[in-house]
Amino acid sequence: METVWLILLVLMIATYIVLDGFDLGVGVLHLLIARDRSEQKQIIQSIAPVWDGNEVWLIAAGGTMMMAFPGFLSSMFSGFYLPLTMVVWLLIFRAISIELPHYLSDSLWIHFWNLMLFVASGLLIIILGAAMANIYRGVPLDATGSFFEPLWTNFRIGPPTGILDWYTILSGVTSATFLLHHGALWLVAKTDGRVQQHARQAATWLWTGSIGLTLVIFIASWYVQPLARTSFSETPWKIILPLAAVLSLLASGYLRWKNKNMPAFLSSGLFIYLVIFSGAMAIYPNILPGLNPEHHLTIYNTSPGPEKLTTTLYWWIPGILLVGVYFTILFRSLPAVISASSEDDH
Amino acid sequence: MIDSLLLHRVQFAFTASFHYLFPQLTMGLALLIFILKCIGLRGNPWADAAARFWLKIFGLTFLMGVVTGIPLEFQFGTNWAQLVKSTGSILGQTLAMEGIFAFFLESTFLYLLIFGEKKLGKRLHCLVSFLLFAGTWLSGYFIICTNAFLQHPVGYRIGEDGIYQLTSIWALLSNPWAIKQYLHTMTGAVITGCFTMASIAAFHLLKQQHQDISRRYLSVAVLVGFPASMIAAMPTGDWEAKQVQQHQPVKFAAMEGHFHTEDGAGLVILGQPNLQEMKIDNPIIIPKALSFLTHASWNARVKGLTEYDRDLWPDNIELLYFSYHIMAGLGTLFIALMGISLVLVLKRKLHTSRFILWLLMLSLPFPFIANTAGWFTTEIGRQPWLIYNLMKTADGASNNISQGNVMFTLLGFMGLYLLLSVLYFFLVTRIIGKGPELINQPETETEGVA
Repeated sequence: METVWLILLVLMIATYIVLDGFDLGVGVLHLLIARDRSEQKQIIQSIAPVWDGNEVWLIAAGGTMMMAFPGFLSSMFSGFYLPLTMVVWLLIFRAISIELPHYLSDSLWIHFWNLMLFVASGLLIIILGAAMANIYRGVPLDATGSFFEPLWTNFRIGPPTGILDWYTILSGVTSATFLLHHGALWLVAKTDGRVQQHARQAATWLWTGSIGLTLVIFIASWYVQPLARTSFSETPWKIILPLAAVLSLLASGYLRWKNKNMPAFLSSGLFIYLVIFSGAMAIYPNILPGLNPEHHLTIYNTSPGPEKLTTTLYWWIPGILLVGVYFTILFRSLPAVISASSEDDH
Repeated sequence: MIDSLLLHRVQFAFTASFHYLFPQLTMGLALLIFILKCIGLRGNPWADAAARFWLKIFGLTFLMGVVTGIPLEFQFGTNWAQLVKSTGSILGQTLAMEGIFAFFLESTFLYLLIFGEKKLGKRLHCLVSFLLFAGTWLSGYFIICTNAFLQHPVGYRIGEDGIYQLTSIWALLSNPWAIKQYLHTMTGAVITGCFTMASIAAFHLLKQQHQDISRRYLSVAVLVGFPASMIAAMPTGDWEAKQVQQHQPVKFAAMEGHFHTEDGAGLVILGQPNLQEMKIDNPIIIPKALSFLTHASWNARVKGLTEYDRDLWPDNIELLYFSYHIMAGLGTLFIALMGISLVLVLKRKLHTSRFILWLLMLSLPFPFIANTAGWFTTEIGRQPWLIYNLMKTADGASNNISQGNVMFTLLGFMGLYLLLSVLYFFLVTRIIGKGPELINQPETETEGVA
């Protein structure tokens, strides 16, 4: 039962990253791609209706994590106190910089918020990548299962560990490349004209970068976490996950080249799912490795016990199906293609 | 030196109080907008115009509620790790439900409500406003359930390792404490919505702008606002006070300023609690009323604060006492003001009664203060407990974070929320300045959601 909930939780976190990932990617790209105000507006309109719903996945995943693995949440959130509080601040800035520009037509005002959107989205992407890498690399857990990590120490993978070291920074850069690529593919699929053309060019570059960084991050991850080496050598079939990830990344490039824009975007989403699952699988059944192997947090010692988790499924499954209905309504209500000339409703 | 427990508490209290300024307005407005949309369905273009105007304010306020709500969810884990470690599997249920059942609903339909009026047609648009209303109120219920577990824990078992296990999800969701507290809280939100609407309408009427629309939706605000103000006191406020008296007698004695056990205890209306001498300074007391209100008998015995061990007293009795009295005092004022307004509405004179319009306009801050004071009463009164009678607040906070780090984030939140307040006031005044506009009927296209 713990394994089922781990899969559901990783699924929810990955869904958050895939969905909000394209918003964040677009949030960075809009400043690089758009030439004028109407193009910026066109780009932001492609994410304005959906960012809030996408972000709810983070909240829902947080609630699910608290319910299924309270020991993991309490240890991780308090240990990563500073970066998580900063994530909250950045989420606030990201949200208001999408929504507030509409209220005033002053060019300085709009320019300021677009810049904020760029900065907040960019930092969020990098922190997300670094956070994932921190969980994967392991943290200095003590016997009670708690730890505290400063923002940085000496940039080696420790000890003493810091949030930022060469591996987590590498992961931040990698996640930026992946999510910018993902965002560019969203723009290719949802816009037209010059914006689409430039997004397509950006996607080509980012795709090439993603391939390179995928190889680098896989090798680095193999080196950084001994648990992964044992895991993959004991159960070699798990290698399917990273292989499938590489294949779906290749597929997204091929599909884009063939002008199958929506499938290319979805394929990039699948790629992100598979990367995250590969990482989770590599340390399974640990959920937060400790630097001292005796103190690993596992899905067993952080969860309240199997029987409770079973009954929870009775409301959780219908709930998620309902969410599927909402998202279908929402995404279907979006225009198929957002053009630069399309009129703003307000 | 400030200890880090205090900093954790101040940070949560600050971020939660600031956050709740927005949802109380959106939950109240969601109901009122739905009512306006229903009136609009019957062919009243003024109601559609008013709904459109209030949706703009709703949209901005909702955004503020969303962005200030996320920090609270995070802070359970970052600042109250010990609480989550032992009770996460219970508190996580209602928090996850809020995300899955309420937030997804709200985020989907808010967009359709704000941008979909032309596309959806009148009926669907009204339905969407109902779904949004349902979403905001559902979200409120899950949060109240979470709080009610801390106030009056039910449906749990404590394992040998000290970890709380959920024994019944139904017990958690049907916690009798939650139901009463929910009704009281939601009437409070409706009061905020009605007074805000009435205040802005009064402002436009006094400025002699947008008079036709303002006059009409002012009546709606008063017609809803009067019963809401009544219900906040009787029965929901009364239920709340009785359940506090029954289950949390220390909180009750402290908030009433009732120091010594008495037969036929009086109700303290005004006065300052003096903890050095254990009495109320400058008292105005209604004799025997406290006994009557709690036990329906003028001579019943009401236990005073001195009856209980001092370790179990809330640590800020003065603030608790004033919070409660400010809430109750303002609540009385709301009934009076809405009552007079209602009479004038029924006589069709309210829009010309300048004095009452002035009062309504100036009353804008008071429901926000009353709701905040109500939460202060609930939460300060629960101290020193985090989970009533089970876990002390000191045992729930994260114990691995230095004071400097908590101070850093507290200051960060203060700066950021100052910025948010400035932005909100700046933008909301612009919306109010423009006022509602009767535009030509939006062409109702027959196509549904494309």
